Amino acid sequence: MLADTWHLFNKYMRITMRMPMWTLFTLIQPLIWLLIFGQLFKEFVQLGDEDYMAFMVPGILVMTVLFGSSWSGVSLLREITAGTVDKMLVSPVSRVAIVLSRVLHSSAQVIAQAFIMLLVAWALGATLNMNPLYLLMAMLIVFLLGIGFAALSNGFAIVLQREEPLVMIGNLMTLPLIFFSSALVPEQFMPDWIQLISAVNPISYAVDAIRAVLSTTPDMAVFGKGLLVLTLFSGASLAWAVTAFNALRD
Amino acid sequence: MTNLAIQIKGLTKIYPPDNRAVETLDLEIKEGEIMALLGPNGAGKSTTIRAASTLCGFDEGKVMVAGFDVDTHSLEVRQSIGVVAQQTGIDYFLTGRENMVLQGHLYRMKKGAINARIEELARYFELDSSIDNLVSTYSGGMRRKLDIACALIHRPKILFLDEPTLGLDIKNRKILWQHIEKLNKEFGLTILLTTHYLEEADNLSHQVAIINGGKIQVVDTPDALKNSIHGDSITITFDDVGKNEQAFFHYAQQQPYIKETSWEDNKLHLYVEDGGANVAALMAIAAESGAKIANLSLSRPTLDDVFLKYTGTSILDVKEDEGDEWWKQWAGKGGNSGKWKSQWGANDSDAEDGGEDQSWKNSDWLQEGDDGKNIGAKKREEAQWQQGEWEKENSASSEQASQQNDWKNSEWNKNRDGGEK
Repeated sequence: MLADTWHLFNKYMRITMRMPMWTLFTLIQPLIWLLIFGQLFKEFVQLGDEDYMAFMVPGILVMTVLFGSSWSGVSLLREITAGTVDKMLVSPVSRVAIVLSRVLHSSAQVIAQAFIMLLVAWALGATLNMNPLYLLMAMLIVFLLGIGFAALSNGFAIVLQREEPLVMIGNLMTLPLIFFSSALVPEQFMPDWIQLISAVNPISYAVDAIRAVLSTTPDMAVFGKGLLVLTLFSGASLAWAVTAFNALRD
Repeated sequence: MTNLAIQIKGLTKIYPPDNRAVETLDLEIKEGEIMALLGPNGAGKSTTIRAASTLCGFDEGKVMVAGFDVDTHSLEVRQSIGVVAQQTGIDYFLTGRENMVLQGHLYRMKKGAINARIEELARYFELDSSIDNLVSTYSGGMRRKLDIACALIHRPKILFLDEPTLGLDIKNRKILWQHIEKLNKEFGLTILLTTHYLEEADNLSHQVAIINGGKIQVVDTPDALKNSIHGDSITITFDDVGKNEQAFFHYAQQQPYIKETSWEDNKLHLYVEDGGANVAALMAIAAESGAKIANLSLSRPTLDDVFLKYTGTSILDVKEDEGDEWWKQWAGKGGNSGKWKSQWGANDSDAEDGGEDQSWKNSDWLQEGDDGKNIGAKKREEAQWQQGEWEKENSASSEQASQQNDWKNSEWNKNRDGGEK
C-alpha cells in the first residue's frame, strides 16, 4: 500500500511540477487578502501592542490551505470521467493508496503554498517567530489541515458525483468557515453565537495553533490542543473518504 | 480441448431503480479467441465488460475469468487481465513512458522488467520515437495504441477492449485492427471486445455475440451467422404503407423464392433465393398491386441482417444511448430523444453535423462522445453503402466509405486468408 501510494503521489507531483503556474495562481487570492485586508482592517482591530499583520498571517496561511486543498475533489471527478480511476481500479493497486496519494499530494502542495505566503508576510514586515523548529510545527498543522480538507473534498466528490455541487460545497467549506473562526478576528470580538461555532470549527484550532508557534512568545499548550484536534479531524475525514471510495464499486 | 478464458453464467445487473443493464446473460470465451460483443449503445456491452473486469459488482450470476471467480478472487483476476476502457485514462501531462512506468508499478512489477517491457511494447506499437513526448502531443490513434500498450504491460492473458476504435478515423482503425489481430495470433491473447461497428465484428473476431436489451441473442462465427440468413437480402422502402403495399406484401410472401420476411417501420426486408434473378419478378408484382416503392436495395446478407433477424431492429437504427456509464445514474440523463434515423434521413451530407448536435444532446459534458458519434454517423453511411444504396447521392463522405469498402474487400481479406492458412 505504501509503495502504491508513493508511485501515485509521484505521478501527481510530477504533473504539478509541469504546471508550476497553477500552484502560484491559487496564491493570488490569499495574497490579495494579506495585502489589502491587512491594511484595511488594521485600524479597526485594536489589539493593544500586537501588530495586526502578525495576527492575521496565521489566518491567511489557513486560508491558503483551504483554497488549495478544497479543489482536490474536482480533479478526482476529472479522473473518474477520464477513465483514470477505472484504470487504477482494474489493477491490483491498493484502493486506500488511490485516495491517500491524492490527499498527500494536495497537502504537499499547500505546504509549499503556505510557505511562500509566510515568506511574503515576513518580507512585508510582519513580526513573526521564524525559528525553524516553530516553523516546522506550524507546517505540521498546515499539513494536517490540508489532509483533512482534501479528504473531505474527495469524499464529497465521490458522494455528489457532480462538479457543480462540489464547487458549491468547496466554497461553503472555505469562506464562511474562515469567518466563523478566529482566523481574521480575535475571539473576544465575536458575538456569542459565532464564538460557539468557532469553538467546534477545526479551522479555529488550526489558526490558534499556528498563531501559538509563530508568536514571539510560543504557547505549547494551545499548539498541543490544536495538534490533537487536527489529528482527529484529518484522521476522521480520511477514513470517511476512503470508505466512500471503497463503496464506489457499484 | 481448449479451456475457457471467460465464463459468464446468469449475469444480472440492476441499476436502481429497476434498470436491468444485463439480465441472465450467459457467455463463454475460449482461450486464444477474439470475441466481439456486437450491439447498440445501452445493450449491456460495457456492463458485461465492467463486471468481468471487476469494475462493477452484479446482482446475480457467476463470472469466472482466467479460472478465477471475479467475486471472490478479484485480485487474481486483475493480475490476469488488461483493460482498455472507452475513456482512455492515460495522463496527458505525462510522457508515454511515464504513463507506462506508472502502470507497471500499479501491477507491482520490478523496475528492470518494466523498462524492458516498455521497449518491447513501444517497438511493437511503433511508438519508439514518441515514447518520451507528452501524451498531450499524441494523435488519437497514438493514444489508443499507448492505451493498449499500457494494458499489456504486465503480460495479461486476457485483454478487454471496450469500443477500441471509437472515435478513430478509418486509417487508424485499420492499423489498430491489424495490431489487435497480430496480438491474438502471435501471443495467443484472448480478446473480448465490444463494438457497434459491423465491420469490426465481421473482420476481426472469431466469434460474434449479438447482444441487445441486456441479453445475448446469438453467438457464432461471423460466417455462420451470415449463412444462417438464407439467400440474398432485399430491402424495400415505401413512402407509406397502405392497402396496395399490403397487397404487394401478401403476394410476395406466397412466392416460393421468398425465404423470410420482416417489417421494420416502412421498410420491408426480404430474404430471397437468387435475389438478382428474382428482383424483376418482385418488381412485376409491385407494379401489379400498385405498390409505390421509394427505394429498393439488393445485397448479400451482412451482420446487420443477422442482427435484424435476432433483435427485430437494425443495429443502425437503434437509439444511441450512453446509459452504460456507471456515473450516469447520478448524473441524470440529458435529452436522449432524437433518433439517428431521422438525422440520417434528413440529409446525408449533413450526417456529420447532425452527429455533433446529437452528441451534445446525449451527453452535454462527456466530451469524448463527440468524436464517437461523428464516426458513428460515418459508419452508418458506410453500412448503407455496403447494402447497396448506390442511387444515393453521397458527396465527400462517400469517398471514404467506398475506400473503406475497397480496402475491406481486398486487403483485409487477403491478410486474413493468408493468416488462416
